[in-house]
Formats: sequence, structure tokens, C-alpha cells
Amino acid sequence: MSAAPKAMTAAPSVGPLPSVAPPTAERMTLSTGLEVVTVRREVAPIVSAALMIRSGAGDDPPEQSGLASLTAEMLDEGAGARDALALADELERLGADLWLGSGRDGSQLSVQAPSATFFEALAIAGDVLCRPRLTDGDWQRVLADRKTSNAQRRDQPEAVVSVVSDRLLFGAAHPYGRPVEGFAHTIENLSLDDVRAFHQAHWRPNQAFLVVAGAFDGGNLRARLEAALGDWTAAPVSQTAAPPPWPERPRLCIVDRPGAPQSIVRLVAPGTDRLSPDRPGLAMLNAILGGSFTSRLNFNLREKNGFTYGASSSFAFLRRPGSFAARAAVFAESTAPAVREMLGELAGLRERPVTAEEHAKARATLLMRVAEGLATTGGIAASFGDIGLYGLSLDEPLRFVAALERTTADDLRALAARYVDPEAASIVIVGDRASIEPPLRDLGLPPPVIYDAEGERLP
Amino acid sequence: MLKIEFETHTLANGLQVILHTDRSSPLVAVDLWYHVGSKDESPGRTGFAHLFEHLMFMGSRHAPYPAFDAIMESWGGHNNGTTSNDRTNYYEIGPRNLLETFLWLEADRLATLSDVITKEELEKQLKVVQNERRQSYENRPYGRAELAIPEAMYPPDHPYHWPTIGSHEDLEAATVDDVRAFFDRFYRPSNATLVVAGDLDPAQAKALVDRYFGWQPKREPPTRAPRPAEPRLAADVELTMTDRVQLPRLRLGWHTPALFAPGDADLDLAAHVLGGGKSSRLYRALVFERRIAQDVFAYQGSQMLASVFHVGATAKPGHDLDEIGAAVDAELARLASEGPTEAELARARNTHLADFYRSLDHLQTRADLLNHYQYLLGDPDGVGRDVARYADATRASVRDAFARALSAKRLALRTLPEAVAS
Repeated sequence: MSAAPKAMTAAPSVGPLPSVAPPTAERMTLSTGLEVVTVRREVAPIVSAALMIRSGAGDDPPEQSGLASLTAEMLDEGAGARDALALADELERLGADLWLGSGRDGSQLSVQAPSATFFEALAIAGDVLCRPRLTDGDWQRVLADRKTSNAQRRDQPEAVVSVVSDRLLFGAAHPYGRPVEGFAHTIENLSLDDVRAFHQAHWRPNQAFLVVAGAFDGGNLRARLEAALGDWTAAPVSQTAAPPPWPERPRLCIVDRPGAPQSIVRLVAPGTDRLSPDRPGLAMLNAILGGSFTSRLNFNLREKNGFTYGASSSFAFLRRPGSFAARAAVFAESTAPAVREMLGELAGLRERPVTAEEHAKARATLLMRVAEGLATTGGIAASFGDIGLYGLSLDEPLRFVAALERTTADDLRALAARYVDPEAASIVIVGDRASIEPPLRDLGLPPPVIYDAEGERLP
Repeated sequence: MLKIEFETHTLANGLQVILHTDRSSPLVAVDLWYHVGSKDESPGRTGFAHLFEHLMFMGSRHAPYPAFDAIMESWGGHNNGTTSNDRTNYYEIGPRNLLETFLWLEADRLATLSDVITKEELEKQLKVVQNERRQSYENRPYGRAELAIPEAMYPPDHPYHWPTIGSHEDLEAATVDDVRAFFDRFYRPSNATLVVAGDLDPAQAKALVDRYFGWQPKREPPTRAPRPAEPRLAADVELTMTDRVQLPRLRLGWHTPALFAPGDADLDLAAHVLGGGKSSRLYRALVFERRIAQDVFAYQGSQMLASVFHVGATAKPGHDLDEIGAAVDAELARLASEGPTEAELARARNTHLADFYRSLDHLQTRADLLNHYQYLLGDPDGVGRDVARYADATRASVRDAFARALSAKRLALRTLPEAVAS
């Protein structure tokens, strides 16, 4: 083999990071009061639109959990002149994707279509928003499908750990304590009239925000949007009551999955809300703890110990304070040592404070995530949709970048002390109880509380 | 208008280089394909191409572990690799100031990895891969069916018989010598194509590629096993397995023409007519109208040596797989005899084309497509040719391709709920 040239022997020097320049967003308000933001991107002949509704599963009444998401799902089951199948046919003919769904804080209608057919697809979206048919036949089918898919959650250990963790952390009285898709018993309570009422109450232009991103035809844009979405009427929207405070919760919880080859481990604790000034710093702190491949959690559990294919952590920044979670799917026989190491890494953020190198990595990682998030039409629609959902200003990407730039390593150390406390975390595990419980006891953890896959406590 | 602009040249050592400029964001992507996949393994030594992909991150002579990930993440870059039956790809995405670093890291591991790999690193990644197998297949609903289908459809000596993830036994048996031999055979400049894409100056990028890869010696492309005979089932195969699931699922599979072979695109379109969304035939009949299935799907699983046409349906509570099977068969027979309607064909074509536009929006996907066409068609400029296959399809061509596929023997795999107390 030829000798390696000198250039190979040391890492090349790296110039300064490019600055992040978010695309220009233009704002307009339609006659209905609907706020619209448009962003051009002409790399591929497609357009992405995201219509955000500022009501979601967080606005479901407790005994009607699942209502917001079922409402969203029902809207394209026939609208205007077309029944459910004719509507699906027409969208396919246009090459358009229409997606409806709900999250914790909002509901969403998304359309992605080739530039040539985008406004035709948007007109169908207008039917879906303003003139859904909401027939009993379609309702019975959609409801039966939802009951079955909810029952299928217990097949998926990752879904089970999410349902149980949220229920424990937030409590059953809190809207975030219930799955967006509802529980079996709350779905039973729902009727088509509830869906009609939720649609009437929440799917209003004054409660909405539209982003159009991509290679759209800019001529007569306002007139085209008015034609598609102009027939929509505003109405006052009532505010959902403030949620209850964080409940008491057990330290260790197990959902038994006899014979499971892996344990799904999640450590959950209170986090903070979307508008918190701590969000940029926490995003950086999370990159260090579990939000990147070289993060402390992944490096320890995957690279050092081989317990898992990947370990990570995240903050859910929501309208009301959300969760912090650390997660890993580990060899069943490695469950206790994995929990020990995860708790150790949470404690380690205080014992081994953030270094200058980690701070620099976190800054670069988050800056480039902003740049990458804005480098597709779908990403642009999602980024600005989020801005609309939470009522942020259009220069939020730049503000976020500026906040990242001014957050110091000391700031991250202070945030770690305030937000990451291993003693405050609950440990939720979906796995083979018989084999994992004794080694967990040896860690000095209290006896586990046992739950079923829906988060009901078992004797 | 459907074209990905590029320029290409080949280094003296055989590495093909493809440059694609896109200055819409300050990012670059490096996408490196090695023309080796699990098809290049042997029975008893399975899972090797994929295990090797993991080892590529375990350090090279001038970038010792964990420099590969640590250096690029310190600048906001990230990376991954994927292994299929047919090929292994590695990619990096990050700010444009990292381009030279990406090329250096890729070049160093190509040049030196085999000299520095250790038993400890191998054992560590073995555990990670075994966890990946559990997470992706063994602890995932219906995941074990995905492992059983190729095993049942391809004979033991066909390279698609074993899964890319390999078997636990074969993985356990892997040695450092195996790793070196695999590396020396397949990781050669002449067996790779490198796409460099994004916010770059082509002349400068070319010079950088030359600096880091150009010095590496030329070695002939690896010799390959001869292309195996077209797989065919001698008789229908019926299999039943149990899994930790609530509902039974039926999977059907037929051998079909390889990727880009005549009939491949027609079968893609047939799959869309059958299972592509709410207005597809299987969805309409089984989910929407009769309400006997919770979900249905159909796809042409296109691969380099041979493909499989897949159909699947999950029974709703109170319905069984005999009922599901009869309903599926009726729809399949109708499509095979009548073909799609003109409107169905137009919908399938338009949906396919729109998906294509979508893939062109993303920098790294575009880079990957250039590599894909180079590997499969011998020319990065394959978009037009690929899309034309769908534009040229007719009702008759879709019907004929589907009828031919269905006339072969098939696999029927039933997954039934385990009777466990839980």
C-alpha cells in the first residue's frame, strides 16, 4: 500500500461555522381573519402547507380523551361534494398528500402537492375544513378502527411505556396524562355529536394559522387562498381550564411483558413549557446529555457498555410544562445496570459539569439543526407551523439562534442543577418482571408498583 | 425538468466521484456507497456486511475511536450508515465548513480501518447489533415475520435467504480475521462511489476528494459470485407462526422481476392500485366496505437480484385469516384479469411522481439517488429513465405483469396471537 500522504495524518482545519439565515417569511391576513405565512423554496416542484389549529388533545374533556384526534381524523371522511372515497381519489389524482391529526397542544391539516396541482388540492382542504360531511356510517367505521388500534398499543412496548409514563408523571386528571388517541373507556363515551361540537368550537379561522412553503405560484396568491379558504367563519373559542399540579408518583414502575428479550426503560421527570426562556439552553443541555450520538447517555449505554442500540433523552416543550425523559431499549439481562448508568448520567451532569468542548458541540449541533430544519419545504412548514401554534414571532428562528449564541457553559451548568435531578425521576420499565425485578431491588430501589399497559395500577 | 445536475469523474484508483451543487442552504452531504451487501455473504457467515458497517465507526489510524463521531458532532455534523441486501451506504451531513473533515474521515477509514480494528471493538459492536436485532425484529409486533419471509421464499444457497441483520449464532462466531478479510475484499476505491453534494465549489471539492482519496492504491474490483438462478417456488408454501400480538395477520409473497427489470415498475403501480391509500382496492374492499381488516398493504419489494411482491392484511377482532385470505384473493384475481382502470393508473402514476418530487427536495436523498442510479444503471443520470418507466406503463402492461407474478407459486405466512397470559 502507498504511504499515506501528510494530509492524512492530522485532522484538517475547520473554518468558522456558516451563519444560519432563515428564509424570508411573508405574512398576510385573509378576510376570514386567518393568518397566513408564505415562504418560498424552489429546489423541487412541490408545495407544503400546514394549517395549525390551536386546540388539540390537551383540550379534550377528561372522560372524552381522544376527541380532538378523532375529530381531525373524521374531517376528510367526505367533505363538500365528495364522499370519503371520492375525496381520496381526487387527492391521488392530483398527486397530493392530505394529513390530519392532533397533538397535545394543537391539531393540524397538512397538504403536500406538486406545484402544478397545489391550489386544487388546497381547495379540497378548504372543503375538509369548512364542509366536512361527518356522517354516521363513516363515524362507526373510524371509531371501530380507533378502538382496535388503541387495543393494538399493547403489542408495542414503546407505545406502552409512553402511555404509562405520561399517566404517572402528569396524573390522570391532567390532559397530558392521557394519550392523544384516548383510552378504551374514554373512546366508548364519544359520539358523532361530540365530534361535530368539537369541530364547531375549535376549527375556526381565528384559532388557526396557515403556512405555505415551497415552489408555489405567487401570482394572485391572496385571491387563490381566499377562493380555497375564504368560506370559513370566525367564532369565539373558550379557553380550557388550567391543569392540576404535578402529582405524587412512585419511584419504580413495571409493566410486565413476560419473556420480553428487551426492557424498554424510561426515566421521566417534570420539564418546562414552550415559552420558557430556558428552552434554548435546555435544548443545548439535552444535546450533551442524550440528544446526539456522542451524548453522555448514548456513549455510556451503547458505546461503553453495549446495553442498547441507542440511548437518548429529550424535553417536551409544550404549552403547559411538559416532560423530561431519558430512554433506552436494553437487553433484558442488562436492565438493572442500564438503570444504574442512566441515573448515574443524570447525576453526572452535576458531578461532572458541562465542559467547554461539550458547550461548543451543543451550540454547533443546535445551530445546524435549525439550518437543516429549514432545508426542506416540509421542514419549513413544520418550523413556521410551530411558530403559529405557540403564537411566536416570525423571527423566532433568528431569536432562537441568538439565544443559542449567548448561552454560556455556566448557564448550562446552572440549568443542569435546576432541571436534571435523578432523585426526582420515576423509572418506568416495560419488560419481563420476573427476571428484572430482583436485580432492580439490588440497586436499592423501592419495590416496583405494577401497572397494566394502559397505566392502571395492578394489585 | 426532472433532473439532478451533477458532474462526475473517476480517480486513477477506480473511485467514482459525483459532485452535485445546491447552494440553497449552508449544508453539505457526503454519501459513500460500497457495492457490498448481505448478498455478498455466505451461509453460516451472515450479518457480516451490517456488522462491518458498525465497525466503520470504531476508529481509523489517524482518527482513533471515537474521533469519527466526536469531531463531526463538535461542529454540528452528523452521520449514519445503512446496510441492505445489495449495498452499504455511509453519509455525513453538516455545515459546509466540515466538507474537508468529512472527506478526510471517510478516506482514512477506507485506507486504514483493517490495520487498527481490535477484538474488543468487535465484541462491543456485536452486542449493539444483537440489541438492534431484538429492537427491530424480536421485540416488535410482527417483526419475526419479516425474518421468516425471505428465509421461506429463497433457497438456502440464494443470497437473499438470510436477513441483513444476520443470525445470533453467526454474529457470535465473527472473528477479527473475518473482519479484515471482508474489508480487504470489498472496501476498495474501485468498489465504491462517492457523492459530494451541497453548498460547495465543484473545483475545490474535486481537489479535496483528490487529496484524500487520490493517493490510495488501485485494486481491482472484487470478484463476485455468479448471479444466482431466478428464484422460484416449486409449490405453494404455507407457514404459521405465533407472535406477541392482538390480531392475526396474513402475509403473501410472490417472486417477481428484479429492480429495473421489465415489469418491476408495473408491479409498483399494481401495488399502489391494491394497497396505496384509502381508495385502493384492498383498502376499499376489506377495511372500508366489509370492515373485516384493520389494515392492508401491498408493495413490490424491488432488489437487485430478484424482487418479492408482498401483500399483507391484519384481521379485525372477530374475523379470521380464512375470511381475509378469500377477500384478498378475490381482489388480486380481479386485478390480474381486468387490470387497473384508466383512472386508477393515472392516480398511481401521479402519486408516484409526486413522491419523486418530494425525494428531490432533500439534499442527502438527492445524493443517495445519484449513487443509487450509478450502482443500478451504471449512470448517475437515471432520474429520467426511472420516471419514464412509470409514465410508459399502460393498463395492459400493469395487468400482464401482475398476472404473470400471480401465476407463480406463493408464500402464505400466518401470524397468530400467542396464547399468553398478560
